[in-house]
Amino acid sequence: MTHPDLDKSIARREFFLRAAAGTVVTAMSGGLYVLSGGEAHAEGRSDGRPRVPPGQRVIEALKPMGGEPGDPALSAYRLRVHGDVERPFELGFAELVALGAVEQSLDVHCVTGWSLLGATWKGVRVKDLAAKAGIRDSARHVIFEAAHGYTANVRRDMALGDDVMVSWEIDGRRLARAHGAPVRALVPDLYFWKSAKWLTGIRFVRRDEPGFWETRGYHNHADPWKEERYG
Amino acid sequence: MAEVRPPARRLKLRPWLRALHRDLGYLAVGLTMVYAISGLAVNHIADWDPSFQNFEREFDVAAPLPDDDAEAAAIVMAAAGITEEPVDIYRVSDEEIEIAFERSRLHANPQTGRVYEEGASPRAFLRVANWLHLNRGKKAWTWFADGYAIALVVLASTGLLMIPGRKGLMGRGAVLALLGAAAPLGYLWWFGGP
Repeated sequence: MTHPDLDKSIARREFFLRAAAGTVVTAMSGGLYVLSGGEAHAEGRSDGRPRVPPGQRVIEALKPMGGEPGDPALSAYRLRVHGDVERPFELGFAELVALGAVEQSLDVHCVTGWSLLGATWKGVRVKDLAAKAGIRDSARHVIFEAAHGYTANVRRDMALGDDVMVSWEIDGRRLARAHGAPVRALVPDLYFWKSAKWLTGIRFVRRDEPGFWETRGYHNHADPWKEERYG
Repeated sequence: MAEVRPPARRLKLRPWLRALHRDLGYLAVGLTMVYAISGLAVNHIADWDPSFQNFEREFDVAAPLPDDDAEAAAIVMAAAGITEEPVDIYRVSDEEIEIAFERSRLHANPQTGRVYEEGASPRAFLRVANWLHLNRGKKAWTWFADGYAIALVVLASTGLLMIPGRKGLMGRGAVLALLGAAAPLGYLWWFGGP
């Protein structure tokens, strides 16, 4: 003998159980996928820190992370180096390239959890641009200025490191527009939002000026090895 | 003979809550789809570009290219099958001419004839949905988005109260509401806050 109300109740319970089981399996599959990309975590750096910061997974190609690109016309491009310097200047793209580029193999780490290891970046060191502009001793911070008012602040000691550049090429190819073309900043040892895309200026300042993301809850310094993600 | 008094009229709140919940639900369904689908897309921004499909390719043209930038660009564009008017043609150096379009660029080496093309094309629905979700337009959309957020608060509140008895807040409703609230609290407890 069947009881319609009881049958209905069992059928409904079965549906919920199956839906829940499906959700758990899907979530676990996603978790396994994320955990599977763990190569290179054991490698170390010359400064003793692990090559891959905590909470990061290694990916194979740069990810576009959004933002508002600047003017696509390269002939209109200007990079302004100014602020607390003796000789502020502006450069067009060809003039920037003609300064003499360096190539460096660098790792970058995005706050969303991915790291790209060992890509070859081509560009000019920020410390060379600072020297050309005659940076004053009083300048303690560097503000990377980008299209549509985006800014990112970096301490002077970090910004003038050997591996900090303004870059226009990755792995032998010009940066795609989604990755900041024509020129982006590159600060490898800080989370990648500090490496401002669509760079238009480098401003040296005495007092720190938290930038776009720093004023929206992200960490002011952004060291990936300390997981300084949020302020 | 005692006077017969009519029963006191009780304010029946639940039919009003149901009606409000139902009508707000209808109103909110379009924006809920936009925000939910865009939310899924943007949540995984580390894995894909939620607004654009990025493309790149390489090909060769006859070298050397003419010294005149416009002539060189015309040859490269013809080989690429591009009829769009370029935004800019710029000779970076003897080894590179860049031809820029609104959403793509051609980098040609005039000496070797090697051309690298890269660009992005907008995803049909997601580009617009993400633009709205992230409130890139600002202006009046901020008011719409605020209104939608308030509507969600009303929907949640009326949803809590509109069913009486064991299936409402006196029974399974309370259990499910507590479970829902426990998820973010549990996450914060387990993984730590900001």
